Amino acid sequence: MRSRHLHVSIVALSLLLGSGLLAQQITLPNKPDSLKFAVIGDTGTGDQHQYAVAEKLIGFRNQFKYEFLVMLGDNTYGGESAKDFENRFEKPYKPLLDAGLKFYAALGNHDTPNQRYYKLFNMGGQQYYTFRPKLGVRFFALDSNYMNPQQLQWLEKELAASGSDWKIAFFHHPLYSSGGTHGSDLALRDQLEPLFLKHNVNVVLSGHDHFYERIKPQKGGIQYFVVGGSAKLRNGDLKNDGLAAKGFDTGYSFMAVEIAGDDFHFQTISDQGQTVDSGVVHRQAAPATK
Amino acid sequence: MRKELVCTVITVALTGAITGAQAPATADTKVLADFSARVQKYHDLRDKLDEGAARQTQHKDPAKIVAEKQTLADRVRAARFGAKPGDIFTPEVQPILKRLLKPAFKGTDGAENKKTIAEEKPAVPLKVNVPYPEKEPLTTVPPDVLKQLPLLPKDIEYRFVQKHLILFDSRANLVIDVLPNAIP
Repeated sequence: MRSRHLHVSIVALSLLLGSGLLAQQITLPNKPDSLKFAVIGDTGTGDQHQYAVAEKLIGFRNQFKYEFLVMLGDNTYGGESAKDFENRFEKPYKPLLDAGLKFYAALGNHDTPNQRYYKLFNMGGQQYYTFRPKLGVRFFALDSNYMNPQQLQWLEKELAASGSDWKIAFFHHPLYSSGGTHGSDLALRDQLEPLFLKHNVNVVLSGHDHFYERIKPQKGGIQYFVVGGSAKLRNGDLKNDGLAAKGFDTGYSFMAVEIAGDDFHFQTISDQGQTVDSGVVHRQAAPATK
Repeated sequence: MRKELVCTVITVALTGAITGAQAPATADTKVLADFSARVQKYHDLRDKLDEGAARQTQHKDPAKIVAEKQTLADRVRAARFGAKPGDIFTPEVQPILKRLLKPAFKGTDGAENKKTIAEEKPAVPLKVNVPYPEKEPLTTVPPDVLKQLPLLPKDIEYRFVQKHLILFDSRANLVIDVLPNAIP
């Protein structure tokens, strides 16, 4: 009797483990027609921490079928040979690449512009680019290492031309961050924030600071995230400066996102499989123009 | 009579002031136009060489990207054999560019800009027509620093190596020219 009870318990435990529910409790609505993607930043170390986060990222897809990934820069640290790409990108994310998932990369300060020619980063040969994975949602990948007047002009034109409800910008250097090492990039903020406000950008994703941070909504209700701890970590680097709605600097992490209608649901998961943040950003309607 | 004299004095003074203000600006404009022409000449040469095995295209195999970049760099280096520091950053344009950069490094904003640039300390030989070392990071250049400088054609960039400014070909991965001590 006792052994039968144990057997049932083991079967139940195996089922739970198999579905990943014990390790990673999903908080996202997981609706059938929503847009699902994952966000990783500062990944390219090729070390055990990158693999640990990659493992959770891959496991999470058993429950939450995200369709593509966004990379926030520092995609390969310390070199760009074939071996470097293999060890710091192709191997850790092999199951996702094999499943046909696309990775969309932005350039970090440890990346060279040559990465734009690496097909698996889907940059189309450009240092900055835009893509629309679904009607109504458009992404703008920027090169924050070199924000020259030409790029700003391009961004303004693309933002103005986009009829998408959701406008999501992603790039390496954060406009808002409580990082003690880097923190907010004020010069970049001076240039980009007015464009984001003018053209109703909803969400901004950045890396560079090696932790996770959800910033309190800023001007225009724009929601900023820092997801820079997907392979590197600056333990204890988050300052208490009042910017953070939620921060996590004691472990590595990635973020999963689901856009369903006017809602941007997010769940941030650590390398230990714990949900360190989750919630929803409601899209604010663009002000009516005359 | 007195009124006419006052008018004449004012006119002469104003003319002098305008001429005085315009003279260096006109000279600067000419020198900057010459700088832009030199950069454009390099750009056109690079684009002419960027064909066949040197044409940069997208690949799944990073080794092919490296090979194309190397072929392009070899061609540019051969075509620019004997290139010297100052060929593009001429002695005439150097003080103008330094002057243009000065406001971007003043005050607290300037200190932020210096800090951003100093985040990376790449070890790069300050030599012309040499590859930028593969394992060295490129410095981030703050947007308000870039705003001070003349526009560059596609895939030619301003980057800093410590306090020195370099012209960098991001397609061939070459240092095109060096402006020493650009950051005050």
